[in-house]
Amino acid sequence: MTSTKEPIAGRGTCPGEACGNVPSGRATPAPGGALRRPAELQRNIDVSGLVDEKGGLLDRAVFTDEQLYRQELRRVFAPSWLFLAHADQFHKPGDFFTTHMGEDPVIVTMTKNREIKAYLNSCRHRGARVCRADFGQTRNFTCTYHGWAYDLDGALVSVPNEGGYPESFRRDDWGLVEVPHVESYHGLIFGTWNPDPVSLRESLGDMAWYLDAMLDHDPEGTVAFGGVHKWVLEGNWKLAAEQFATDWYHVNMSHASALMVLSPTGRGPKDEIIHREGRQYVDPNGHGAGFPVHPKNRFDADTVHEWMDYAALRSRLGDARVEGPLTTGHATVFPNFSYLPVNGSIRVWHPKGPNRMEVWAWTIVDRSMPEEVREAQRLYNLRTFGPSGIFEQDDGENWSECQAIAHGFITNGVALNYQMGLGSEREDGRYPGTTSELYSDAAGRSFYARWRTLMNTPAWHEEQP
Amino acid sequence: MTISTGIRVAALDDVAEGEGIAISKAITGTADNIAILRDEDGSVWALDDTCTHETASLADGWVEDGHVECPLHSSKFCLKSGEVQGLPATKNTCPHRVELRDSDIWLFPNETP
Repeated sequence: MTSTKEPIAGRGTCPGEACGNVPSGRATPAPGGALRRPAELQRNIDVSGLVDEKGGLLDRAVFTDEQLYRQELRRVFAPSWLFLAHADQFHKPGDFFTTHMGEDPVIVTMTKNREIKAYLNSCRHRGARVCRADFGQTRNFTCTYHGWAYDLDGALVSVPNEGGYPESFRRDDWGLVEVPHVESYHGLIFGTWNPDPVSLRESLGDMAWYLDAMLDHDPEGTVAFGGVHKWVLEGNWKLAAEQFATDWYHVNMSHASALMVLSPTGRGPKDEIIHREGRQYVDPNGHGAGFPVHPKNRFDADTVHEWMDYAALRSRLGDARVEGPLTTGHATVFPNFSYLPVNGSIRVWHPKGPNRMEVWAWTIVDRSMPEEVREAQRLYNLRTFGPSGIFEQDDGENWSECQAIAHGFITNGVALNYQMGLGSEREDGRYPGTTSELYSDAAGRSFYARWRTLMNTPAWHEEQP
Repeated sequence: MTISTGIRVAALDDVAEGEGIAISKAITGTADNIAILRDEDGSVWALDDTCTHETASLADGWVEDGHVECPLHSSKFCLKSGEVQGLPATKNTCPHRVELRDSDIWLFPNETP
């Protein structure tokens, strides 16, 4: 599959009032009959007072409160573009990958028409998952509970003892619930439950310029190399997403031991590594990216560094990107997709309740890289930011530490400080959009401002039919 | 059992190992379509195409180790005899004789292998 900015799946339709509030694809009018969900099940909290982005303050309840968490699933995750998979995971019809959108399990697959589609991984009969594998190749998705079976287009194609249902039963009414919009950007596939979203490209805004520094080294694009690492961390998902958006500040302290180990002399990194200048991109939709800026910025893994044609990269991407977000740095696409360009790590922070997340991490490499360069990048990523990586371990420990104590009554009421770089946001003429200093909380403030906006905005599924 | 004449239904290369193709009953003259199934050892077999449990094409199933597994509910049938080897199906399916001539597959509908 070549990289594309165009939609890669048709727009789902929602035929008439029968679809109620459930997102539905072509095959799924989702009969609700007399069911009416009482509003008391979905009480919403006004979160205006929990985020003070002008003062740089955050209330710790955003990390701990169960009711806020349920509201996040409804109002932050359900309407947002969420990362699903890399296009390279699908080569033939029937190739599938199972993941989550928020806490909703979904199947991503290639149909017989070679479209990428995504479905809620839940049988319409009793609700079990219809695909239990992490990834693979299939002809159908068959529920192992009673045997309802769905084809690659999500249509219900087999119901054992179908004669036992009333005459009004129509298979067409009971297809898998389809994710209504699936689009890709340079090989990254995203989906949203929002029936009427802005396009993925539009939602990325200027963030796309920064993403391209990792995804668009040459016309061949990227591939996912090796498997998907998955691990569980104690900690709210926002702690990780926020850090990847806005936090270079922790590097020298949290990762001191790793930096010592990696320094060629063994006496620690040079002063110019410790005291870095750089920029932080602050996106109005809550995305963020920070990166040191230096003419000699390079890829860390020697084999990768030696293979890279920096002159060609300067010609394709421009000096500002090669000297900035091409290599060392961090980034988050709101809400829960993050990446590290220097080692090709892309990851999703899957929410698992207010206190826990699952990290799912891929290594992506340039398709044009020879095998030994790919392998060098994979190993470098594994060593630094794999599940037991020397940097990753530091980060996970911090998030779990912050979460573990945050439920204390007094603790929870003590505001957190996000004031670094207050007022520093500006257009610098070199890096697109609004940027701040490398050491700044600006993208974090913007992340939580976006979170507050979504939390206070009724989503499409709350509209009365 | 009627003895039929053979029909050239496919080139051997048309059927990948571990997979199958369905031949329409309009061609075979049988009550059901016939699945041409190629085991992973390269051998070729033929069975009535429709699973005896629910409506599913065995030609879309997985072929390995002397059996075909239905793509819908995982019932298994012996490639050689059509005998059911795994639930939820409980009825055997009907085998047909095939012959390889050069690199072509010839089907003899309703002839016992």
